[in-house]
Amino acid sequence: MEFLSYFGGVFEPTAFLLLLGGTIGGLILGATPGLSPTMAVALLIPFTFHLSPTQGLILLGAAYTSTVAGGAVSAILLKIPGAPANIATALDGNAMAKNGEGARALHLSFLSSGIGGVIGVLLLIFLTPVLAQWALAFSYSHLFWMAILGVTVIGSLDSKSFVKGLLSGCIGLWLSMIGFDDNLGAQRFIFTDALAGGIHIIPALIGLFAIPQVMEMFAKGRNNAAIEAIEVPKQSLMDSMKELTRNVRALSIGTIFGSIIGIIPGVGGQIAGLVAYDQARKFSPDKDKFGTGHPEGIIAAESANNAMVGPSLVPLLTLSIPGSPTAAVLLGGLIIHGIFPGSDLFDNHPQVAWTFINSMLIGQILMVIFGIYTATWAARIARAPMPIMAAAVMVLALFGSYSVQQSMGDVYIMLSLGIGMFFLEKFGFSAAPLVLGLILGPIAESNFTTGSLISQAQDGPWVYFLTGTLNIFLIALVFASVAYSFWSNMMHGKAVKKMQEAAS
Amino acid sequence: MTASRLQHTVASGVVLLVAALVTYISFTQQPADAFLFPRLISIFFIILAVWNFARAVSGVAKVGTGLNATEFKNILPGLIVMIVFVFLVAKSIGFYLSSAIAFMIIYTLYDPAPYSDGKAWGKRLIVTVCFMAVMYCLFALLLKVQTPSGILF
Amino acid sequence: MNKLMKTLATGFAAVAMTAGAAFAADYPERPIGVAVSYGAGGATDFQARIVTMVAGNEDILGQPIYIVNKPGAGGRVGWNWFATEAEADGYTMSAYNIPHFIAQSIKGGVSYSADSFEPIANWGADPAVVVVGKDSQFNTIQDMVNFAKENPGKVTLSGAGLFVGHHIAALQIEKGTGAKFAYIPTKGGGAAAMKAVIAGDVMGGINNLSDAFRAREAGNVKILGVADLERNAEFLPDVPTLKEAGYDVDNASVNFRGLMVKKGTPQEIIDKLAAKVPEMFAHARVAKRMKAGGSPMKIMNRAEVQAMWAKRQETLKDLLAGL
Repeated sequence: MEFLSYFGGVFEPTAFLLLLGGTIGGLILGATPGLSPTMAVALLIPFTFHLSPTQGLILLGAAYTSTVAGGAVSAILLKIPGAPANIATALDGNAMAKNGEGARALHLSFLSSGIGGVIGVLLLIFLTPVLAQWALAFSYSHLFWMAILGVTVIGSLDSKSFVKGLLSGCIGLWLSMIGFDDNLGAQRFIFTDALAGGIHIIPALIGLFAIPQVMEMFAKGRNNAAIEAIEVPKQSLMDSMKELTRNVRALSIGTIFGSIIGIIPGVGGQIAGLVAYDQARKFSPDKDKFGTGHPEGIIAAESANNAMVGPSLVPLLTLSIPGSPTAAVLLGGLIIHGIFPGSDLFDNHPQVAWTFINSMLIGQILMVIFGIYTATWAARIARAPMPIMAAAVMVLALFGSYSVQQSMGDVYIMLSLGIGMFFLEKFGFSAAPLVLGLILGPIAESNFTTGSLISQAQDGPWVYFLTGTLNIFLIALVFASVAYSFWSNMMHGKAVKKMQEAAS
Repeated sequence: MTASRLQHTVASGVVLLVAALVTYISFTQQPADAFLFPRLISIFFIILAVWNFARAVSGVAKVGTGLNATEFKNILPGLIVMIVFVFLVAKSIGFYLSSAIAFMIIYTLYDPAPYSDGKAWGKRLIVTVCFMAVMYCLFALLLKVQTPSGILF
Repeated sequence: MNKLMKTLATGFAAVAMTAGAAFAADYPERPIGVAVSYGAGGATDFQARIVTMVAGNEDILGQPIYIVNKPGAGGRVGWNWFATEAEADGYTMSAYNIPHFIAQSIKGGVSYSADSFEPIANWGADPAVVVVGKDSQFNTIQDMVNFAKENPGKVTLSGAGLFVGHHIAALQIEKGTGAKFAYIPTKGGGAAAMKAVIAGDVMGGINNLSDAFRAREAGNVKILGVADLERNAEFLPDVPTLKEAGYDVDNASVNFRGLMVKKGTPQEIIDKLAAKVPEMFAHARVAKRMKAGGSPMKIMNRAEVQAMWAKRQETLKDLLAGL
């Protein structure tokens, strides 16, 4: 309960103003296409030079929590996921916004973000020592199996055809290998200079999701004026809250998966949302509604990716090991002020540590309030006339993908992938499994390579990858997941056949 | 409506070709260590691509709407503008000016209002200017991103 | 119509020419970018952010410096981009890491070498150190070397990648001690290599002095030796150098960090930067922040850096010749 005694620090006038500024700024930065939470936090670090360590951390903590939630705004309204965490949100959120329910989607997204986020931070407060051990337990072989477990989700994720889902995943895995190989530095599949740096995930996300959608709008042609016809019912906060209570299953699946996966260094943050989304669908009676604007999809994805924020900081705060890119940036921000995370932080600078954690707690709540307050207004963006929307998303895609690394190569990759994806989608391939392949490829490969090297110095790869409780547990999960996919695929096939027979 | 068997065959044929190319490169390039993982993936890739191709040829593939001529005719002008804008002029003319022009062209191409309508032109101009002003505030002033300024802006 | 076009064209040409002439004198007239070849939050990244934070002061450059991260493949992605795609106009600089990029260029497969770049100034020198987990059976470097001699190839040492400072140090330790180690390059830089040591995934590791110092302060690791010519009096006065321990390991693996521009940048701009940048590094506020972060500074001017690059090129060529 030590954290309670430091709550005062958060409510000092300067600190609270910073918290407010960090939250609002974070939402705007998060909603900007091309700006991931990592970059947003890195951009704010120079501001902390002029602040005391505590104040600086309040700003960074608030910004971190709200950029993750802010990414949902562009995912829902523009179908441009701000970061890998928001991919799953885009699937159902954008479908909802297109039906004129943008405000409802935003309400659900912010409320479930807030709930997931608060629970995540509470876990960080109460279970840090336990969680730290858990984070360290994951070695290369386990991370490899985790990535493979993620790959098994590919076939069932947002795709009507099992084969094409897997094939989309393979294309993603291949794309992830383009460029310099991370372990040995060899060049692979570099056909042109723009590819030498590999395919960066953020421009790829922008291209794969935003560009096909722009082309879809082009396809409607210039005489179709039916776009602004949808009358939007006013979404009241009470209704959204009631809706959330009706979807406790999705909310708890999201929160549990988000916080468990979030702790695992190097894997967690990117896939938490997608895995939770997939699980929520497997447990849901309305499987077929996912992807068409189903509230459960948004709730699971958003509660997962904010629940991850708190636990993902455990390895950083206790062991000084950054478990995610954003945690690495926060570490930089701490070191600049001469504060080293680890036991030193909690023993010698408790006011810094606890004020930081408390600010994330209050930040979550401020984020929900501010997000809900602007949702109705922001949702109008999704109802802009089609030609404006198409042109605006196109220009945003250019600026967003350029600003990631200030590289024209990224911009060219973004558009090429986007145009390719449009045609692939026309034939039943989908972007979500492709992106999952793109994210998991490097994780699987580098952990496999590093693990193999270590195993050569020990008892060989078979022992290293296949023995040990955690390995066996993960392998069992992999098999279970594959078996489930085949089974549900077969059941689905039978059901379709039955329906066709009944119809004929 | 689903795509025709021919369209599916062509599309899955292209994917098969890519898979074949990836497999070929993976197994012929050196150093072998660095291509171990690509080889593994490419085996799955090519098997799935062949399976997919077989399904398309035999007419089992039913997912996906395919392309139709009207849609494609609608897409083409926008697609050309987008490609020319991103690949050819954005860097050399400068992001802000070229974006404004591309925005205006796309908006005009797909705006249902007739070209003779003077008021519609005024609205297009105002929306373009406002949007670019927001972009400038966000990227240049707030985020301080140095975009290529090319010969103009 | 034709006349109008002509007038416009002449106008553009005139503007372009004036801009060219005024270029060097007014430099810099807009913010300058620094490409860092490692991820945000890594040692090179945050040090680059600290040492450039006063660039906007009127008496330094008068324009701020911003950081762009281009991580990947131990730095190859960023430097390759810098050598092939960046403009040589002085508005894009890059942070260098010696011996990393020189070793990579000797090894081949990249589009750069020491001749592709012009150094401006050096800000820091971070020696490689040997670390083990806090519960490790090794208490001195001799323990570790003796164990490795009895069990060749069984001692796993993590490091930030292939042909970076840590790898060079590992190669030198093998050469200097005659023992065989298993060097494990990790993805994700020094932080990932340190995690492997703390979690016990590997038996030991090579890491940056600054990161190891912090990890020891946090009570997670023991530091067995420094791969430098002298002990580090400021942060680790109690840790012996490998030379003291009796192994022939010099300072070839020390990670020098500084700024460089692309070859072909106008000489006036290089001269101006070479004069101003060391001043920027020496600024009191920079020094204070660097010390707080446990980051050893070593400011060197352009001529000194050029000499250092040439010397490293020679040493590394010899060291890597046998591989």
